[in-house]
Amino acid sequence: MLALRSFLQSTVATAPSLCHQQTRNTFILKRKHPLPLHKKGGKPTKMRGRHFVYDLVEDTNIAKKPDIKVILNQFINGVGVKGDVLSLRPTQAYRDYLMPGLAVYASPENLVKYKSVENEPKAENSYSSPYVRRTLGRFSKLVLQITMNKLQPWTLEPWHISASFRKSGFIVPEYAIEMPPVQIKGPDLSLQDKEFLITVTINKTEKAKVRCRIHHWATGLDRLPWEEFHWKQPKEALIPDQAAELENMPLPQ
Amino acid sequence: MAGTLFRSMFTNTLSFYKCNSSNLRSLHTATVSYAARKGTRAKARAKKVKVEVTKVGFIPHNQRGKDKISKSNVSKHLDDTFKPLAKDDVYPLKYYSWIVYTAEDAVKAHQQTHHPTMYNVPDAFVIARVEMNMEAAKKNRFMDSFTRLSLLPHTFPRDEERTILAFCKGSELIKEAMDAGATTAGGTDLIKKIQDGQIKIGDYDYVVAHPNIITELVPIRGLMKRRFPNVRSGTLEPNLKDLVRKFSGGVQYRVLKDEHQENFGFVEVPIGRLNMEPKQVAENIEAFLKDLQSARPKRDGLFITRCLLLSPPSPEKLKIDPFVYVDKTLSKEVREDSDDEGDAVAATA
Repeated sequence: MLALRSFLQSTVATAPSLCHQQTRNTFILKRKHPLPLHKKGGKPTKMRGRHFVYDLVEDTNIAKKPDIKVILNQFINGVGVKGDVLSLRPTQAYRDYLMPGLAVYASPENLVKYKSVENEPKAENSYSSPYVRRTLGRFSKLVLQITMNKLQPWTLEPWHISASFRKSGFIVPEYAIEMPPVQIKGPDLSLQDKEFLITVTINKTEKAKVRCRIHHWATGLDRLPWEEFHWKQPKEALIPDQAAELENMPLPQ
Repeated sequence: MAGTLFRSMFTNTLSFYKCNSSNLRSLHTATVSYAARKGTRAKARAKKVKVEVTKVGFIPHNQRGKDKISKSNVSKHLDDTFKPLAKDDVYPLKYYSWIVYTAEDAVKAHQQTHHPTMYNVPDAFVIARVEMNMEAAKKNRFMDSFTRLSLLPHTFPRDEERTILAFCKGSELIKEAMDAGATTAGGTDLIKKIQDGQIKIGDYDYVVAHPNIITELVPIRGLMKRRFPNVRSGTLEPNLKDLVRKFSGGVQYRVLKDEHQENFGFVEVPIGRLNMEPKQVAENIEAFLKDLQSARPKRDGLFITRCLLLSPPSPEKLKIDPFVYVDKTLSKEVREDSDDEGDAVAATA
């Protein structure tokens, strides 16, 4: 019996461990009734039944795991560029980035490997920031309504467009707006059913064309009638040069 | 086993002494069921919550479950801190947390959209929308909706007219009150007119008085009912001039508690006009927020949660930081001082 046990122990100890998975089932317990102290060098006191009653302090199996770091190995729209280190929840990182092969673990070797990426010449289809492509996508579908007064005289200026952008939920500073080649003056009801393009420069690098329409605003009897789904209706170009370009841009459906 | 051995030895000893073994029963020490103490059962009975069954009358089929629809699980306290801050200079706001403007910048932005070339309403109201956490000092208790009046440092023309009836003795005081903006001011002769029925109290929005006339006012107490001037409601003060000015020029606001979400309250109040200097509007906001903060319950955490500046007809809502003007949380000393927290809340309510 004894020989058999020693034999088994020796074989188990020498054989390579088959389970490489780290066990996470640690339960940290605390004795409900602590053992009494015994004299130095003396015999420990006999343990009673109550000494085997425990309180659960922590179950490491259900403890929240910390975020893990991954490095992107390509440009991802709205997320980051190649070489960016992201800190993510483990499930999200594994399911969305590591499994599809969009990122690698941020191991010391990988960190060194992807550090040199920053110095590489940028690819042609790269952007000044990971969010630019998303912004461009939003601009391509946008029909910017510029509310101008129907009774007071005005000339269209960049701050009018900047304020109209802010009203429709876009932050565009005045310096980023490039006005159309012709000066637009009003009030002129012939402008009401026309559209034109302006150019917005994102991060002073990427340029985007935005479709604009002027609406003449007044209250009471002067108010223009409401047109249903006016943003879906195709309109005439105000500037003939832009007509072809406007026709190619899709309208929101 | 040891027990039976011991028992047999014990009986043996007893039989040796010629005692009856049945007497053993008296040695048995089981717990005796004593009656619970006198107060215990009464206490337990008092603790039991009485379930009141309310009879629901007939509800037509098309109106059933209407209250369920209006109840939403989404908290009205919006929190966009999980959204990132923008790094680009041109971006759609949808994906980022709201921009926090300074009060001056927010007013300037509204001035742009209300410019004569755009909306052409250069004297539009600037309206402050303040959202609050209505939790009271005690747990699971909530503040009620309340109304307050606060005097802003820079007055601006409003749509409403207020009528004020001021009581005081002495021609000088009467003149002061009239100059400050009282509709009618007077002394004993005015009281007589009210008694005769020539002047009706109901025609006036507010009734204020100087303490030197309060004894003469007692006969018409029955006519005034709850509007009888008193210190607690702030309608009786020796400084009549400032009092009248507060009632004539101050803004009245009502903080409304949400019907379905008790910890959410909000107030919308005009605090200026766009043709004022942005700095003046900012000072008005400061005074208003400080007045609102004085109604704060004595508890930990936020009271004012969000502050927006609106200006119709523009649909824009611009967020400003209220905590540059008022404290974010209550200081610890104030919280520990107050023993009668409930009373403080009741007084403001």
